Formats: sequence, structure tokens, C-alpha cells
Amino acid sequence: MRLWCTKPVLLLAAMLLSISAMAQFTATGKVTDSEGNPLIGVTVAVKGTAVGAFTDFDGKFEIDVPTDEATLEFTYIGYAPVEVQVSKDNPNVEVVMANEATQLDEVVVTGLATSVKRSNLANSVAQIDARQLTGVTTQQTMDGALYGKFAGANIIKNSGAPGGGISIRLRGITSLTANSQPLFIIDGVYLDNSAIKAGFDFVSKSQAGGSQSVQDDPSNRIADIDPEDIETIEILKGASAAAIYGSRAGAGVVIITTKRGKAGKTTVNVAQTFSMNALLNPRGMRQWDSDKVAASWGPDEVPIYEAAVAAGKIYNYEKELYDNRLLGYQTRLSVSGGDDKTRFFTGLTYKNDPGIVLNTGYQKTSFRLNLDRQLWDFMDLKVSSNYIKSSADRGYFNNDNSGTTIGISFISTPPWAELHPDENGNYPDNPYSGGNPLQTAALVTNNESVDRIITGGTLTTHLIKQDNQSMRLILRGGMDLYSLKNSAIFPRELQFQKNGNGTDGAVIITTAQNRIANIDAFLVHSFYTGSGVHFRTQLGYTAQNFDQNVIRSTASFLVGTQTNLDQASSIFVEEDRYIQRDRGFFVQEEVNLHDQVILTLGLRGDKSTNNGDPNQLFFYPKGSIAVNVHEFDFWNSSQLSSLKLRLAYGQSGNFPVFGAKYTPLVPVVIGGSTGSLIGATRGKSDIGPERQTEIEAGMDIGLMSNKVLLDVTVYQKTIDDLVLNVQVPASSGFTSKWENVGSLQNRGLEIGLTTSPVQRDNFSWDSRTTFWLNRALVTELRVPAYNTGAFGATLGTYRIEEGKSPTQLVGITDDPNDDDGIAVFGDAEPDFQMGFWNTLNYNNWELSFLFHWKKGGDNINLTTLLTDIFGTSPDYDDKTLDPTGQLTNGEYRLAALGVTAAPWIEDAGYLRLREVGLFYRIPRAKLNDVCSLKVGVSGRNVLNFFKYNSYDPEVSNFGSNAISNNVEVTPYPSAKSYFFTIRASF
Amino acid sequence: MFFKNIWTQKLATFLLVAGLAAGYSSCQLDDIPDPNNPSLNVIESNASLGEIQNLVDGIQAWMRDRLGTYLDGVGVIGREYYRFSGSDPRFTSDLLGKGNAVLDDNTFYTTRPFQSRYRVVKNCNILMTAIENTSAPISAAEKSAALGYAKTIMAHELLMVLNQQYKNGIRVDVADPDNLGPFLSLEESLSAIASLLDEAATDLQAGGDRFPFSLTSGFAGYDTPATFLKFNRALAARVDLYRQDWSGALDALNGSFFDLGGDFYDGVYYIFSTAGGDQLNEMWYPLNSTGELRVAHPSYVTDIEAGDDRISKVTMRNDEAFQDGLSSQWDVTVYQSNTDPMPIIRNEELILIFAEASAQTGKTDDAVMAINTIRNAHGLADYSGGTSAEELIDEILKQRRFSLFGEGHRWIDMRRYGRLNELPIDRPDDDVWEQFPRPAGEN
Repeated sequence: MRLWCTKPVLLLAAMLLSISAMAQFTATGKVTDSEGNPLIGVTVAVKGTAVGAFTDFDGKFEIDVPTDEATLEFTYIGYAPVEVQVSKDNPNVEVVMANEATQLDEVVVTGLATSVKRSNLANSVAQIDARQLTGVTTQQTMDGALYGKFAGANIIKNSGAPGGGISIRLRGITSLTANSQPLFIIDGVYLDNSAIKAGFDFVSKSQAGGSQSVQDDPSNRIADIDPEDIETIEILKGASAAAIYGSRAGAGVVIITTKRGKAGKTTVNVAQTFSMNALLNPRGMRQWDSDKVAASWGPDEVPIYEAAVAAGKIYNYEKELYDNRLLGYQTRLSVSGGDDKTRFFTGLTYKNDPGIVLNTGYQKTSFRLNLDRQLWDFMDLKVSSNYIKSSADRGYFNNDNSGTTIGISFISTPPWAELHPDENGNYPDNPYSGGNPLQTAALVTNNESVDRIITGGTLTTHLIKQDNQSMRLILRGGMDLYSLKNSAIFPRELQFQKNGNGTDGAVIITTAQNRIANIDAFLVHSFYTGSGVHFRTQLGYTAQNFDQNVIRSTASFLVGTQTNLDQASSIFVEEDRYIQRDRGFFVQEEVNLHDQVILTLGLRGDKSTNNGDPNQLFFYPKGSIAVNVHEFDFWNSSQLSSLKLRLAYGQSGNFPVFGAKYTPLVPVVIGGSTGSLIGATRGKSDIGPERQTEIEAGMDIGLMSNKVLLDVTVYQKTIDDLVLNVQVPASSGFTSKWENVGSLQNRGLEIGLTTSPVQRDNFSWDSRTTFWLNRALVTELRVPAYNTGAFGATLGTYRIEEGKSPTQLVGITDDPNDDDGIAVFGDAEPDFQMGFWNTLNYNNWELSFLFHWKKGGDNINLTTLLTDIFGTSPDYDDKTLDPTGQLTNGEYRLAALGVTAAPWIEDAGYLRLREVGLFYRIPRAKLNDVCSLKVGVSGRNVLNFFKYNSYDPEVSNFGSNAISNNVEVTPYPSAKSYFFTIRASF
Repeated sequence: MFFKNIWTQKLATFLLVAGLAAGYSSCQLDDIPDPNNPSLNVIESNASLGEIQNLVDGIQAWMRDRLGTYLDGVGVIGREYYRFSGSDPRFTSDLLGKGNAVLDDNTFYTTRPFQSRYRVVKNCNILMTAIENTSAPISAAEKSAALGYAKTIMAHELLMVLNQQYKNGIRVDVADPDNLGPFLSLEESLSAIASLLDEAATDLQAGGDRFPFSLTSGFAGYDTPATFLKFNRALAARVDLYRQDWSGALDALNGSFFDLGGDFYDGVYYIFSTAGGDQLNEMWYPLNSTGELRVAHPSYVTDIEAGDDRISKVTMRNDEAFQDGLSSQWDVTVYQSNTDPMPIIRNEELILIFAEASAQTGKTDDAVMAINTIRNAHGLADYSGGTSAEELIDEILKQRRFSLFGEGHRWIDMRRYGRLNELPIDRPDDDVWEQFPRPAGEN
């Protein structure tokens, strides 16, 4: 089977036999929690060996101990680990495990097949558990739930449109053109995170003006994952931690582990949430008078304005369009349980989240079934499966060149315009703009619906189980299948479709079929020397196939009110196929010397059809060392309870984008014939991957019995062979070409402080503060500096230039001292970010909140430019900008148009109360042991502090582009959300 | 026990590694040809007749790309009309030089038409390479005809670039993207374009009676090598006019479809349709549009003579359009629908070229006759002004202004005669630009 190449692995597996060990004596016992309930499925291991067992249904265990005396280790998720001495003379033990493990005892998934105890980790790996993820408030999407919860990420929401659309950058920008979003893996299945455009450029003409980039604001597909299903998320932020993931890990890896059943009583959890969204930052409107109307709209407009004032018909269209507060809800049911051989978890979520703009909203149904079965003593099977159906009505927003999007037509319309429909529901034409935004919101459909199945299985075979060694063969397969349909429907009665405006209606249907399949095989061998040294050797083979087919049909000149594609006079079809095959292997050796020194060395090899030569292997080495100073005998500090020093090095890659090796002739149509036209971008037939090299150093300090934990990490990440879409002289017929031509460097600092300031019986306070910053630099550029992104230098643009930040924002300047007329006005990179997460428990009350502070980082705000031009800026008449105090803000900014780009490049920093929740628990005992209840209110983005002159400093007209986010053109405005939740556990 | 001790275990591990590595290396990936598009090297090395037709269709399709942006650039600077836009303020700031605003070298009005024209030039070069290398059954005459076609179109596209770049000059030799030719001066550029047209004429003359491909209906009547040559000569006349080779212009007109008594609208056209994926005539907006619109510069209406039927190229709006301190009551209505064809060159321009070249060479009677042909046809009496070359040129420029309104000539004509300072200034600090900046990244 050439495609997958699993044969050699299977053959090797068949060669090996399962072997059991000889015992000196058998230890037995029972494990309970602090209330005496038996704990089922606790891992029991003989320390320093590979011998292990699990507790059964009654919490009892039996384990064969190979020596006369030994230490048994008991570990269980959510409980502090316990070590107990046993001997031939004293083989029976009763163990009580205490709840609430400290952070250091967490087990962190870092490899494709293995995990490491946090205290032995050589990297700063962020871990977010269910409590942090969904415990404070209800989340709209999985990626949106990550804000401010770990150091090292810059997360930007592209707009307020329901259904997601978020870009995540881990430790700065890692690519200028290729993928800059992390790799998402859920239970071993590689996830697709595409953003598939709706194609409404056909109507908006957004790509017809200054920018040819997609401005449709599609959501990205990671939004489908239900946050309620997630047990933990681990984030490998750079190559030093993620090297083993190879060429897809260049932008980091997000490893999602879903909840699984535990042996024992069947648990039923039911939760019902009601929600409401409200406009996050209402801007209000300009206070008009006749003089201002004459200045902005011409003298002919004054009587119209005055008549409207007299009739009391001055409307607050912002409130009508953008602040619809509708009731939403989310229903969640999960059932889990099992016995010592079989465990299951099922989760069902239904969510209906109406948007603040009329006729927008997000519905999702997610069903998960996770099954674990021990087939034989030596073989386990884990299966995870998830079906998701989602539907997002996202509205018609962002930039256009036709005056038709809700955003553009709203800001270009003064409040005395009469846009309301008559008694028959007919909307008047808006004389001030190409469209009537009330009509557009009422009639335009932009729906993205997805049917998705994510399923995977892991088969673990214990080939060797001996006193001093063990070997596991892990075979894993996964599949992410979805079909997406985007319907953008513009009926012909729209102002901008009728009477020769537009195309008498348009229906744009985009369907995408996506399939990612992965097959992996790993061999993990552990060897204990008996003197406290542990070797772990891993070999792995991975294969991934990616197939995506996007078909977009654009029908125009519609028949009557029909929206069927064939009810049209003109139909145009586009198809984009995307095929990628990746193969890789890795070897890794870990050496653990008495938990004092942990050394790791590894090598990954990768090839891909996206490279010029599909069979050239690219190698990525890694190496790391962690030193637990407190584990050494000389350590004798009562204040400093733990001290770890760590250093890690690693490389990983980033494949060039699909198609970079081709120079195509693209189809163009004239008079019904399709011709071939040279593509605008010249391919590079020998293109190779980008290579990232990361060095990370840090230290973890525990004080006062690890009640105070401080972790400090510094890193330097360089990316060489950057694949750039290099601007070439347009006189060549091309506008750009693909090249490996540069290097980029990110340096940063991450600090985390975890404390438990108060721990009393009836009151506790846990707190985690994170601080992080990143600085990026283009260290080498073998082509001339060039502007990219946004809408040209007049209005502010990005500029890739050696020795400068890749996210610098430049524009034309009137500074006579400036030689080239281009000055730097800002940088999209934040100065720093901080998260401040707290949970307070008082008796049965629980208050949690998360503040997120992003200091600095600039946006190009072109909404302000457009509102100035139409005189609708709320601050138009303020005089806070002009240093001479002469001009109003609107006049001042307009006077700068074509002179300097400075007024549109704005500080986009913010301080937000990202999440806050107040809950009251009613214990089971008070409810006749039927169930426990948790009732409370919560909110997201409830408090927001920013100076930014628009709805939300978090915005991107260009979606999740590698760079050139942070550009605003009349987006779907952001909302704040309030929730009421009641949860019952049976 | 399977493994006796650590050494046998290590040996086993080594064997496993070797086995995996061997298994892995036996696993070759097949290269994936572009699943979406034909690739350049295949077309250049051995194109089929169908693929040659595809290249020609590609050329004709893309010749229309960004025509709206091009015409807005020259039309707004030439004060023919205003382009109001709800989404982009630069039509009324940069193009009109509002306040301190200047034309930017990396903004769409500079870069996009430039890119589109050179992309067509590239497709012409690919067509020529494909014609040279193809093993498809086409005759030597057909090959010659095809080369003549490619060079003529290439010359037209280069002239469009030069119209905006003017004294910056342009690159003419752009066949090899890794080794582009130098920027020529304005004069060198014009003469290179003229030479290219002459080469094309020679090729067309040797081109037999048919092209090895078909042309769009925009070339109706000019779609054989012999008739296409008339189009080629019409373009040559325009180029000669621009480089003040008056007698050359008259010679070229002789070989063209110039016809004093003929239909003013006879000529070669860009065509548009509502077919899926096709382009629409970007110069058409519905009457009384809001948001995106073109309104005539008020001087068009104030300057036009009473009775001139060319007033129909503008139509009074219900409401005056107002933006950025500019206003006009008149929509531009040169085209009646979004599928109206747009001229590449037409007889009315050739008659005016004849008039101008005649006036410049002292053939006053010819010049006056041509002027009157234009005037009478548009409902005006015979020309009654002076007959000095200067006076005649005044009149010819005026007729060109109204006859070729919205077709991209006014700015170029005023520039040719150093009269840009005569164009009206609407706001105190506005500027009239002489040329567009050379696009960023072009050096």
C-alpha cells in the first residue's frame, strides 16, 4: 500500500511479542478520596520500573513488585500524586488521595505519543483546563476561549460576526505568506482550520480597488470545535517544544484533549444557559446643525435636514442596525461513566446565539462520543468521534467599492435619511449611498453552514511489560471530514441590485469538501536502570493527506425572486482544488536522571508535495535539558521549595503554500469563451519550506511549598528561508513571485505567577498572572523593501524591510526631513500583554474573573476616514487633534488625506474584563443526594477600556492573513455578552 | 524473556530504526501537477491550436481589465468628470491634487492599470513563443499573421502605459522576466512602439488570408490579417500624432480604416457581456447613482456650444451630486448599458487625427474640411474661426474634447500642447498632474 506506507510498521509490530514479568511479591490495597469514596482507574506504578496497574471498580488494586521493597506511585487526574512504601512484609496499603493537584504535578502532552510531568518539562508549555476554558463563562468558539489565558499568544478577532473568525499567533509572526496559524490536533486528529471565502466580492467589488486580498470575513473552521467537550488544551508555542511535529509546527501546535469517561458511577451533567449580546462600544452620532449639514452635504441638503428635524425624524441607525439584543441559549448534556475495561463519554451541545445585527447569528449542534476499551491485557483502544453541524449568518460587512455593505452604507448615511420601509414592507432607496443598510440587513443572506465529522482511533499494544522496561506500539488514524456551504444571496429588489444597479440580484454558492486523513505509528520504549535512571526511546512515522475542493457558483440576473442557481441568466463557476501529501518520521531519546536532570534529543524528517521536490527530506533536530535543582541532595532551602532551570533548542518547518511551485495560466472569460492568461504570481519550481530555529531558556521557582509558582521564559525564534510573495516589476507581466528570500526573528519574554494567597476552609483565592511580550525583526531580506497589505501608502500599509519589524505600519508623510516620503507610524505588535485570572471561593459562592490587557499595538482605522469623508464621525466636531486648536478632528484628519497617513494609524491597545462569572453551588447533600446544582451569571467582554476610535480595537478586514491583520473598514461591530447558567450534576 | 539484556534490546532498537528508515525511504511521493490550471512551460513548449486560441482569448479578455481605473485616472486628471466614491476618497483627493495630496506610486490608480497592461503584454509574448514552438498544423503565413496580431496588441498596451507614465518612459523589452530591458525615454518609447507596429504590419502583410485563431466580435470587419492591418495603421496614426510625426500620421491613416464620410463609430472595440465570469463596461453607471458615480465636470456643459448633440454624453441628475467640496448636476452617460462596447480606436478619432496632422502640415483646407465634418455631424454650423495652425489646433482640441469625451483623450491632448495649465481648477489648492509616478517596485 504505497499511499500510506504502513506495511513496514505493521511487520515490525508483528515481530514482537507481549511478555509478562516475574514478581517478587504482590502488593495490594485500596485507593479512596478524602471522603472515603473509592477512586476507580487510578494509575499505580512501581517507582523506577515500568510495572503498573489500575484500581478497579472498588478502588482496589493488585500489583506485582519485582523487588523486596519498593515505592508505589499513585496518579490520578485532578488529584495530587501519592507515593507509598511497600515491602514483602508489608504488602497491603490504604491510600487516600487529596483533590486539587498543584500545577507542577500536571501531566503535559508534548509529543505525538507521550506526555511529560510538568516538573520535568524543559519548555514553557501552556496548559488550559476545562475550568479555565469554560468554567468562568460560556464561550462562543474554542479559539475565542483562549484570550488572555496563557502567555505568548496574540489573538485577534477578525470582526464581531457570529461564528468566529479568529487568528492566533504564537510567539509573534512566524511566516509572511505561508501558514501563520498554529496546527490544531484534537485527540490525535489533525484539524483543518481553513477560512473559505463567501465570494461576495462579486457584489462588494472589495478587491477592485486598492487591495486584491479577500475581504469577505469568513470564519475559520476551528470555530466548529465545541469548547464544552475539552478537557485540556496544551499549547506548544515554538519549534523547541514542537519540533517533533515537524513541518506543520512552524507556527506552534495546539493539542486538544477531549473529556473521557472514568470508571465508576454514571455521571450526568445538564446545563442550560441563556445569553444576550449587546453592542460593545456604541459610538453615538455627530451632533448636527444646519451649518454642519451645509459643509458636509452641500447647501441643498439643509432644507431636507431641517424638515427632518421639524418632523422629529432624526434616527439612531446605529442602535437600529447594531444593537439588537435578542435572547440566545445553549443546552448541554453530557453522560459519562464506565467500568474497569470500558469507559465512555458523550456530550451534546445545542447553541443558538443571535447576533447584534438583525438576521445574523450562530447555531451549532455538536455531538461527541468517546469510547475507551481495554481489549486484552496488552491492548487498549481509544476512539473519539464528533459530529458538528453549524450555521452562521454573518451579515454583509467590511470594505467594498460599491457602497453596498451594511458597514459602508451605514456610515455614509446621515441620521435624517428615511430608510424605514413603508406599511407594505418596501424599503425606500437611500439617496446617500449605494444601499439602504436596513434593507440590506433585512434581505441579504450570508450563511456559512458546515457538516463535519472528526473521528480518530488509537490502538496501543504493550509489546513488552517487564520489571525494568516496557515497549508500546501505538497506531493511530484520524479523519477530519466536512462539507461547507456558503450561501450569499442578494435578491434583486435590493437598492444596489435593481434598475441596473448591480446585476439584478446575485446568488453566490460556495461549497467546500474537505478531507484530512492522518495515519501515525509510534514505538515507545522505556527502560529503567534500577538506579533511578530512565531512558525513553521513541520512533514514529506520520502521514497526512489533505484534500480540499472548493466550488463557487455565481449566478446573476436572477429570475424573479428565485434564489436557485439555475434561475439566473448568467452563471459563473470556479473550482479550486488543493491537494497535499506529507510524510514524516521522527526519533527521540529522553534520559531522566533521578528526576534531577532530564535530557531530550530528537530528530524529525519531513517531505511534502508542496515542496518543489516532493521527495526531498528536510530534517529538524531538537535537544533540551531540564535541571530540577531541588531534587539534588545538596538542596536544603525551606523557602525555595522548587527550582528548575531549563534550556531547549529545536527546529521546525513551514511548508510553502500550496501552488507556490506552479506558474499557472488562469482562466479569464470574454464573450462566452474562456481564455488563458498568465497568472499574476510567478511560481518557483524548486521552492522549499521555511525553517524555524528556536532557543528557549527559563526557570521555574516554587515558594512556600509550591503555593507560589513563578515561571520565567525567554526565547529567540528565527525563521530562515522565508517564503515570500515577492513584488517584482509589474512590467514583467507578473506582479509577484514566490521565493525563499529572507529571515525573521522573534524574541520574547513570558512570565507567569501562580499563587494561592488565601487557602482556608471556607474561603480560598487562586490567582494566575501572566505577562508576555514579543519583538519581531526582519533580519534578512534579499529583495528590496516593499509595501504590502491594506490599501497603499496613502492610507497606511505594512512594509517588509530589513532591520525593521515585519508588522510596522508605514504611510506617506509630510515630514520634509524624510527622504523617501514614507514614515513609520506604528506597529501592529503589542508592546506587551497581561492576563490576570482569579478564582475566589467563599462557602458555596464562586467568583472568577479574567482581565486581559493589551498594551499598544496599532491598527489602520479606515472606518474613521470614511466617516470623516461623509461627515458622520461622532467626534467630527471635537477639537482634540489639531495642535493649533484650529481644525475640528474631522477637518484635521481630512486635511491629512494624501499628505500623511498618520491620522489613520491608531493605538489599538485595550484593557478588558474578558470573562467574569459568579456562581452559587448547592451541594448534593442539600438536594437529597439527587444532584448538585450550580447557578450563576457570567459575562464576556463586559468591561472594555480603550481609546481606539471605533467599535473595537480587535478587528481585521483581511481575516487571518499571515500579516496585514489590524486593518479596519466598517466591520461587523463587536458585542459584549451576558449569560445566566444553571448546571446540574446527577 | 524475549530480550535477554540491555544489549540485545539495544540491538533490537537499532534494527527497528533501520527497518523503519528502510520502509520509509521506499515510500516515494508522486509529484502533483497543478490540479487547477495549465502550466506555462507546457503551453510555451508545445501548444495545441486550442491552447493558442485560449491565449488569444486571454489577451482580449484582459485588455479590458482595469479600463475603468485607467479612464478614471486620465479622465479625472483631465477634468472631464469627477469620480465620486463612497468607499475610496482618493479619486477626489489624490487624482485632483487636493490640498497637499499627491499621486502615490503604490496605490491602485497607479499600479493596477500598469499591471494589467503589462500582463497582456506578457500574454502576447507567451503567444509568440507558443507560435514559434508549436507543432500544431499551422502554416508559415498563419504564424506570421499571429505574430503581427501579438505585436499590434502589445504596442497598443504599451501605449496605454506610456500615456500615464509619460516622461518616466517605459520598458518595451519585457520578454524575459529575469532580464528586463531598460526604461526608454518618452521619445524612445514612442518610437519603439511605432517600430513594433511597423514590424507587426510587415508580419500581417505576410500573413495570408486568415489568422490561426478567431477574434472577438469587437474586431468585426478587422479580423483577417489584411483588415487587422487597418487597425494596426490606425494605432500607428495615433502614435505618430503623439510623437508629432504629422506626415507619418497621414501616411498611416491611408493604410487605416479612416473614412471622412464614414460612420464615426466604425472601429475596433472592447466588448463586454453579462455572461458568467465576463467583464462589464466599468464606465457605465446607472442614472442618478449614489455611492459610486461619475459626474461630468460642470465645464463640459458650460463650454459646449448650443445645439451640439454631444450634450447627450451627459444627463441631468435628479439631485446634484456632492462630495469633498465638488459638485455636479450631470451624470456621465457616454454608454447606455453595462454591456455597451468601448472603442479601442474609432473613425471619429481618425478624422480628428487627419484634421490635426493636416493643420500641422499646412493643409488648411483638409483640416477645415475634417473639422466641419465633425461639427456638422454633431449639429453645429461650419467652422468660422481663423485658419492659422494655432487657431485650427484650438478648434481641433475642442472637437476632440467633446467627440472623445470619456474615452481618455482630453488630458493627453492638453499635455501634448503644454496646456495642462488651462484645465479648470475647482478647489484653491488642487493640482493638475502631468503624469503618474513610476509604480513602486519598478526600478
